[in-house]
Amino acid sequence: MSLLELENVTASYGHAQALHGVSLSLPENGAIGILGANGAGKTTTLRAISGMLKTTGRILFEGKDIAGLGPDRVARLGIAHVPEGRGTLPQLSVRDNLLVGAYQRKDRKQIAADIDYCLDLFPNLRERIKSNAAALSGGEQQMLAVARAVMARPRVMLLDEASLGLAPSTARRVYEAVVRLRREAQLSMVVVEQNAVLAFSVVDHATVLETGKVALAGDKAELMGMDAVRRAYLGG
Amino acid sequence: MQYFIQVVVDGVATGAIYGALALAIVLVNRATGLINFAQGAMAVMATFVAFALTRAGVPLIAAALAAFAFAFVLGALLERVVVRRFEGGDPDIAVVATIGLLVLLTGISAAFFGYEPHPFPSFFPLGTVNLFGVFLSFRSLGTIVILVVAMVALQVLFRSTKLGLAMRAVADNPRSSALSGLPVSRLLMIGWGLAAGLGALAGILVAPQLFISPGMLDFALVYALAAAILGGLDSPVGAVVAAAFIGVVENLAGAYIDVIGDDLKIAVPFAVMIVILIVRPQGLFGRKVVVRV
Amino acid sequence: MEKLLARRSVRLVALAVFAVVLVVAPLVSSPFINYQLALIAVFAVALLGVNIVMGYTGQVSLGQSAFLGLGAYIAAYGVKNGWPLLLVLVLCAVLPAAVGMLVALAAARLRGLALAMITIALPIIGIPLARRFSDFTGGSGGATVSFMKAPDWSGLANDQWRYYVVLVIAVVAFLLARNLVRGRVGRAFAIVKENEAVALAMGVSPYRYKVLAFTIASLLGGVAGFSYLVVVQFTSPETLSFFTSINLVAAMVIGGSASIAGTILGAIYFVVVPVLAGAVNSARTALISGAILLAVLFLLPRGLASLPRRVRQLSARKSHGRTGATAPHNSPDGASSAAPPEIPEIPAANEERQAR
Repeated sequence: MSLLELENVTASYGHAQALHGVSLSLPENGAIGILGANGAGKTTTLRAISGMLKTTGRILFEGKDIAGLGPDRVARLGIAHVPEGRGTLPQLSVRDNLLVGAYQRKDRKQIAADIDYCLDLFPNLRERIKSNAAALSGGEQQMLAVARAVMARPRVMLLDEASLGLAPSTARRVYEAVVRLRREAQLSMVVVEQNAVLAFSVVDHATVLETGKVALAGDKAELMGMDAVRRAYLGG
Repeated sequence: MQYFIQVVVDGVATGAIYGALALAIVLVNRATGLINFAQGAMAVMATFVAFALTRAGVPLIAAALAAFAFAFVLGALLERVVVRRFEGGDPDIAVVATIGLLVLLTGISAAFFGYEPHPFPSFFPLGTVNLFGVFLSFRSLGTIVILVVAMVALQVLFRSTKLGLAMRAVADNPRSSALSGLPVSRLLMIGWGLAAGLGALAGILVAPQLFISPGMLDFALVYALAAAILGGLDSPVGAVVAAAFIGVVENLAGAYIDVIGDDLKIAVPFAVMIVILIVRPQGLFGRKVVVRV
Repeated sequence: MEKLLARRSVRLVALAVFAVVLVVAPLVSSPFINYQLALIAVFAVALLGVNIVMGYTGQVSLGQSAFLGLGAYIAAYGVKNGWPLLLVLVLCAVLPAAVGMLVALAAARLRGLALAMITIALPIIGIPLARRFSDFTGGSGGATVSFMKAPDWSGLANDQWRYYVVLVIAVVAFLLARNLVRGRVGRAFAIVKENEAVALAMGVSPYRYKVLAFTIASLLGGVAGFSYLVVVQFTSPETLSFFTSINLVAAMVIGGSASIAGTILGAIYFVVVPVLAGAVNSARTALISGAILLAVLFLLPRGLASLPRRVRQLSARKSHGRTGATAPHNSPDGASSAAPPEIPEIPAANEERQAR
């Protein structure tokens, strides 16, 4: 059984429809990528899962339809969304940001241990623990956003364009941490990326969206083998 | 010198009342990003609840607690039912909605209690206490003490509790907070409720002096707005300090500058404020906000 | 195209009817009605100023009553000293405009609430000043004048004559303002309102245009003060009341922000609603006014001026027999009648939450 499953999902911003029947499936302990050009509906798909948009179709999480729930309800079920543009809490300190991530948890001791784990995962954040998130560099903010999601101890992490606007080396470091998380924290993931090389460092299966529809789906080897995909997303 | 200290302490006490209302305005502004012109009218309504209870023979302290609870529910309800509709839209429309609330609530208070002022019991005995040769009124000292306690409690709530953390998060970025599972809607209601409770406190403390009437806090609201903006809308401490500053400047100017006297003293803090704002647009304590393009 | 022409001619006919009503109304109405009609013309001009600053240029102004009061006091002083009325009118325009410009020169670099606060301070400072300088203002008791009586040749009663005087002033003010906001300056205002950085990039100085908007608003406030004195024949520190200012802002939003027709509707609202509410139950004026204000905001968040569009929207919806799709509460463009049926509306509260 898959952990998260989208069946023929549509979504719109106001009157502009952005998704026209997208289906995809995330297996238990799996990681899938969503690739596609700007405006293809990648971010919209994640927002649809998180309940940030009005949708039709079914969104099944652990077998239950979660379509129609608000973002806070979805988050409390165990889906942590790292939004595009990081979405940290700028006026709160790094520590407070992490504590907000753990808002739904009651296990105080384990929370402290998890903060330590996150700071171990992103050593940069350790030095900035008291700074406001607004004072962090773009890379550090992205790390904080990922760490905040981890603090919720979710089943699924939705990662949206974590490399956007970062220097290549910084983006690589973020993704190295994500790979480590996938291994150590047994997190399932849906990764939205423009950079397919980074995406495939985490995921083994990907869906390519085009203008709000699924254009292609396949595993890493299949997709990398296709000229069209290589040209579009791998820069070669 | 003694007279000077008396004038300053009385000024701080008046300022503390504006400060409580200013704090309420700051709370609402941080939570929902708008200026609530109805803050005073809500406080008056809650004060009327205390008034009705004391008239029915309930002890003042119990009546005050009931008024506080009433204010909390009123604030939460108004946020959910009226203000929610206008949040995130055109801020002009949201502000006008609170003006509508101001007029409506004033009208409701008047419908029950009329427009004429009524006397209101005080927590503090009349008279003064002699501190090192300075005569300070119980009322001024008591008002200051109560509001300082309220401020400290608020600070503890925001800095050291999970609820406070959640409220700060929602004030900072509600959308992103929701993604961590914070119940944004409920937290906004709590924010408005707390603000209304603070307003009720201000109303109950000032009512013995002003006598209670539906328009009792109209003027205090203007001072509170000035304090909130002067202090920097994102800074609770700033709002309170600015409020005390306004109270003191007003009292000192009235007492010491003959040309100004009682009638013109109102204008002084506002004139000072204009100068301060022009020199420091972000307020005395506010952070400089970088405007994004 | 045909539709456009039809709409245009409908508009012209409506405008002509409106003009005839404006001219004929005082001849057939009681002095009380004429007084209210004249007040609408007075506050329409003050409101026009508020709308130019807030609606068109996007700056908060909570101090318009200060300029209204200043204009009224200048007029009272001039009339008492027997100055020619035309000179008085010019002074009522120029002096408040100068004061407004001075304030704006200092304050227009501020944004949002800091600017709001400075405008709030104007009436707050103005009222005690008006009380203090009683030689000029008549102090707390105010200044009563008796002028602008109907000349014999006109055969009109005073209330009718005064109505026509303030109507002419209002019509001139509105025609000038209409040309202003539809022209180059109006476009500059709109850009400043939209985005100051973009304005700068386009070579439009936000500072200069904000000062200009404030100056025009103060000028209109002062002229409205003159008209106020013509109609009421009395002014006191109360004229400056801060609450008049915020009620003007409410009336602007209720009428319709950045809309000439909305400004007139707002003025009607400003004058008529308290009178109506008082007529229903004089002890419940505030309650009824507040309820009406909130009701209008809930039903027509874009103001009374958006009523025709809203009606078209709703009737279009009905005639298409759409089920399930509820009316959008604040559709961004008002063109939602063309909504494709397969997209259900996002509940407004939800959408607003998203938008943050």
